[in-house]
Amino acid sequence: MYRLFQFISKQRAFIVFVLLEVLSLWMFYSYNNYPNAVFFNTTNYYAAKALETSNSIAEFYNLRNVNQDLAMENKQLRETVLKLQAQQLVQPKVNYKADSIVAARFQPIVAKVTELTTNQFNNYITIDKGTADGLAPGMGVISSTGVVGKIKSCSEHMSRVISVLHSEYTMSAKIRRNNEIGSVKWDGKNPELLEMTDVSRYKLVKQRDTIVTSDYNYVFPADIAIGYVTKVGVKKDMTFHDIQLKVATNFNTLSYVYVIKNRLEKEVKQLEETPENKTPQTSKAPQTTKP
Amino acid sequence: MTLRNIIPEVLTFIFYLLLQVFFVRQLVFFDYAFCFAYVAAVLLLPFETSRLQLVILGFVAGLFVDIFYNTTGANAAATTLIAYLRPSIITLLTPQRGYDERQVLTLRSMGFGWFISYLGILTLIHHFVLFMLEASDWGLFFQVILKVLASIIFTNTVIVILQFFRKE
Repeated sequence: MYRLFQFISKQRAFIVFVLLEVLSLWMFYSYNNYPNAVFFNTTNYYAAKALETSNSIAEFYNLRNVNQDLAMENKQLRETVLKLQAQQLVQPKVNYKADSIVAARFQPIVAKVTELTTNQFNNYITIDKGTADGLAPGMGVISSTGVVGKIKSCSEHMSRVISVLHSEYTMSAKIRRNNEIGSVKWDGKNPELLEMTDVSRYKLVKQRDTIVTSDYNYVFPADIAIGYVTKVGVKKDMTFHDIQLKVATNFNTLSYVYVIKNRLEKEVKQLEETPENKTPQTSKAPQTTKP
Repeated sequence: MTLRNIIPEVLTFIFYLLLQVFFVRQLVFFDYAFCFAYVAAVLLLPFETSRLQLVILGFVAGLFVDIFYNTTGANAAATTLIAYLRPSIITLLTPQRGYDERQVLTLRSMGFGWFISYLGILTLIHHFVLFMLEASDWGLFFQVILKVLASIIFTNTVIVILQFFRKE
């Protein structure tokens, strides 16, 4: 027994080393998977406050770019308003009009970026709004120029966003010109470029096409810019296009973002989880049809 | 070691961590060269620091940096490892005449050759472990190696430059 203690005391540096190493690796592999783990990252209150102070200096130098982005957005919004006004005068082809609640289901919340990376293999963004302002994990985040990411975890006044520049982040996308669907992912190399996959090579894709968020999406409203096609090729398997995009959002000067809150999210989820909707039963059909 | 000797060491340790988190973190060249000057907080502790103290301080420094990099555990793992390996590397690099008793772990006292090979070996291990953990994918091996090499140059340059601001 004495020998054992002697051994432990002699090797205590090694034992502590192994313990700490196992602890940090365990933290690395498990902690990052808990959505509400907020202590050991930048949503930590003290870390966030410190970063906010140091960022306020950097922000001053970015004002010119931010202004430019906002002006561009204003222009786009104005164009959209004009287009919509014009459309109201024309009769739609199908007699469909969205319910006012459905049409206004996406509510933007403005938040300020306090911390952001673009050159890691997995990039995160920290913003200064949290559960107190109605944010929750899973909500989409966009900027004035395009898609930014998705909220991963929230504390009361801070949230952590998975950037589109994250190796595990895939989103459903479409080509604006012809509505072809595909998915967009980052390859972990160049923070300016994304990859679009699953677009059949028999569909037409041109350079400078705009890739936008698809309609099959609860996280983002449809038609938000993701990127612009810079290179079109064919994958090795010869069935799909190999498309390269330039990211629409300018991450280097990102200061303000909009968190997209979907007011109907709960309702949609509920609807999908109802058993009748999962397995439609023919025997019940007569009850549901109106006389 | 008296209290008078310890206080400057503690302040240097804290200085390197704050420097890393608030200043050097923003410096990235060509998306490949990163600066992890905070390793100096552990690597430049006095010779007489015991292995146990090194390992614990290494873990603390790594975890602190992790909080600001959103990489829970990755920096801690890498820094704990180099803190543990430090005494072995110092023994490995013993000059032919052995170490002089009055020598301290600074650029001026140890000479450029010794200092840069000491830093080089340990930053290589640190950066490789860190980037490989973050990438978590052997497919990115080539990318990782590029990042590691570029970052070693950057980190070592910054640490050496900081040595010139040191009062003897």
